[in-house]
Amino acid sequence: MAKTSQKRYEQIKRFENDLSQCMKCGFCTFWCPVYQEEHIESSVARGKNMMIRGLLAGELDYTKEYAERLNQCTLCMACTTNCPAKANIPNVIVAARADAVKARGLKFPYNIVYRWLLPRRRLFGWVVRFASWFQGIFLPRTEGSIRHLSMFLSALGKGRNIPQIAPRFLRQMVPVVNKPPKGVETKMRVGYFSGCMTDFVLPELGKHIIDFLNRNGVEVIVPKEQGCCGAPVFLGAGDFDTGRKMADTNVKAFEGLDYVISDCATCTSALKDYAKFLADTRQRKRAYAKFAEKVKDISEFLVDVLKLPPSAYQPSAEVKGKKVTWHDPCHLSRHLGITAQPRQIIKSIPDIEYLEMPNADRCCGMAGTFSIYYYDLSKQIADKKVAAIKSTGADIVVSSCPGCEIQLIDSLLRNKLPVKVMHIMELIK
Amino acid sequence: MLEKKVISQLRKILGKDAVLTSKEDLNAYSYDGTTTWAHMPDVVVLPTTVEQVSQILKLADENKVPVTPRGAGTNVSGGSIPIKGGIVLCTTKMNKILDINKTNLTATVEPGVVLQDFNIALAKQGLFYPPDPQSFLGCTVGGTIAENAGGPYCVKYGVTKQYVLGLEVVLANGYIMKLGGVTVKNRTGYELMMLFTGSEGTLGVITKITLRLLPMPPAQKTMMAVFDDMAAGGQAVSNIMASGVVPAKIEFVDNFVLCRIEEMMPMGLPVEAQALLLIMADGSPAAVEAEAKQIVDILKKSGAKEVKVAKDDAEAAKYWKMRSAGFAATFGAAKTVLAEDVAVPRDKLAEFIDKLGEISERTGFFISYLGHAGDGNLHPAIFTDVSKKEEFERAQAAMGEIFEAALSLGGVLSGEHGIGLEKQRFLKKAMDPVALNLMIKIKGILDPNHILNPGKIWEEERV
Repeated sequence: MAKTSQKRYEQIKRFENDLSQCMKCGFCTFWCPVYQEEHIESSVARGKNMMIRGLLAGELDYTKEYAERLNQCTLCMACTTNCPAKANIPNVIVAARADAVKARGLKFPYNIVYRWLLPRRRLFGWVVRFASWFQGIFLPRTEGSIRHLSMFLSALGKGRNIPQIAPRFLRQMVPVVNKPPKGVETKMRVGYFSGCMTDFVLPELGKHIIDFLNRNGVEVIVPKEQGCCGAPVFLGAGDFDTGRKMADTNVKAFEGLDYVISDCATCTSALKDYAKFLADTRQRKRAYAKFAEKVKDISEFLVDVLKLPPSAYQPSAEVKGKKVTWHDPCHLSRHLGITAQPRQIIKSIPDIEYLEMPNADRCCGMAGTFSIYYYDLSKQIADKKVAAIKSTGADIVVSSCPGCEIQLIDSLLRNKLPVKVMHIMELIK
Repeated sequence: MLEKKVISQLRKILGKDAVLTSKEDLNAYSYDGTTTWAHMPDVVVLPTTVEQVSQILKLADENKVPVTPRGAGTNVSGGSIPIKGGIVLCTTKMNKILDINKTNLTATVEPGVVLQDFNIALAKQGLFYPPDPQSFLGCTVGGTIAENAGGPYCVKYGVTKQYVLGLEVVLANGYIMKLGGVTVKNRTGYELMMLFTGSEGTLGVITKITLRLLPMPPAQKTMMAVFDDMAAGGQAVSNIMASGVVPAKIEFVDNFVLCRIEEMMPMGLPVEAQALLLIMADGSPAAVEAEAKQIVDILKKSGAKEVKVAKDDAEAAKYWKMRSAGFAATFGAAKTVLAEDVAVPRDKLAEFIDKLGEISERTGFFISYLGHAGDGNLHPAIFTDVSKKEEFERAQAAMGEIFEAALSLGGVLSGEHGIGLEKQRFLKKAMDPVALNLMIKIKGILDPNHILNPGKIWEEERV
């Protein structure tokens, strides 16, 4: 009996310290974007943590309601950052999702999408392409993009503004090796992790980043073997087994490179999280930890590693004379502590005006799978972000996470606010 | 177990979504901010109007179902634990600020407004509501009334009860009663409002609150002083108060917390120092300047090893942040931390601190303490582990000794947290038996079926 229960809570047990750290003060209620909409105790970190304690104590079980409450979290980490005891409840929630998947299994259609489709990059690409043919028929074409197929399917029924699939994917546009142009000295050689979004929807952004790095003396390798980062699979759905396969694929794809650059905050954070959640052997632990050190967000890489001078950041034609505000993706600010670098880049760009929005690091409510399960709640959280953007009077809201960008595009359109959404690298010529 | 028909009637009153019955949701309303108390309710209701509250109570009264009123559940007395099951009536969805009147210096709010949201709204208009329980990020205004909460500011500005001008209360039988008004002066009969302020949800459900406000003090200054000897720190507090200055806050931190602060934010604090005082003066710029000078003088004369004055608001904010971080460090220091809330007369503070030292030595438990020294309110904390039964029981006995020591110096059982479940076993010793009996009789008049937060404040067998 003892042994089975150990197995039943295998992942939660690994984060027992976080689980017991909560002293139930309830301060997280003030910071939790979900609680701020629902005002119900099971929305917030304290409530979820106590629910998981209840499970371990045998008072609760793996029910539908239990899974529901676990999923109702954006993993934005605002609770942990502001917790007097620094209890990392999102860790416990991810672990509990994994144990729940082991105990309950994944439900259709997520089992197909997560277990079968996302790990097969080429096939996934074809399915996305196939889906894009229908996009024009069923939905008005809008700007922006879709992040995961599951999201696309779900959004079909809910009227979300979905961006278009690109006519050519990034992997079809660029070679594996991208060398600096003639006359530019090669200072460094890095890998580029393209992420599903940049690959399938924003290949121009990927191309632009590779060109920018080339011009600044960086040789860029784009391994064809790389796949999805796995965030929706192991962080969102708690499918650690599939997540591990995806992690192994990506770690192997970037072997021998000093840096792995990503333009997506969620991907960056997920790639670094392999070691924390997916390392089941000593070997994997070592490999994942080493990999995590190599992974860099694009703005972090430009500012801290490449140390480009301010003059390297020249505005692209369409942003000249515009007012720009920055939205901190949760995965960049609280998960990775990167807040100064993107601001430094934006402020270096001449001919634009930078405006800081209130609560710039508040979650936009996207959170991948979360916004599929709880689109209405996700919209309510986003509306607060829209109000913050509006208060700045900015023409452009900039971020560094395609997930956030989809959410911002959808929410701004819904609120009829004529503000353009851009990736930070799109500001730069 | 609750009858099915009661739940279906609750659904009729509130709609399906505002009645929670899943085990997962009930579990989430089984605890509060205390360490060990927990009990599952049978149902949780989230009303949005006073009429709903009235109908809920009427239904509960007719069926003799216990009702535990609850705000955000941040209290640390066991007060919002549904110890007898039944209904948890949660006010977090009644969260509108109804009125802020700058001329009258009053505000009217629903009970579920979070104190920090209220403070932010007031600050935008240059207004100030002093009671500042340190759970302000989570706690609801209704909860602070029911608990008559206090905090650091109370040394100068008083506790919650000094600010309540009017209440709307739903009685156990569902009657919606109005008390007080919006005027600062009101001499109409008994002070019935005070009966409900601090009633811990045992007499009625508070559904609307009118509060007195102050203009935001235009200036403030924060000072920090370090002492070699704990009792000397306590004496310095008494000296300041006796000198005719009333600082806005005087907080006391012991060596344990001081060391944690220095670890987290190295600022050259002498880690061998036994006590640290954080003091704030506020008011008009000229008055603040003069008071700060006087306070620094007294601190030095009282034997402070080092006195620092924050050079600007940013540095002052850093000192105060450090104080709350230190408080958190105390809670992270052991598996279980038993923290209490005794208050002693200010001139007995040094003597009380000595007694705590003796208790620590005799029982072998490490006792850390910090608190609102300016009003004699300390939070001694014993580090223990609830899973070690024998040790935990000894820790609870040691806490009993701390209560005894405070009472013997003319102190009280609870400065600002309330009695709830946590301290009821000491109540008999702390209250005149006739007064206690009167309290129980009042409860009997207002709530003859004992449906409102039953099992709280006094021990059951007396009922």
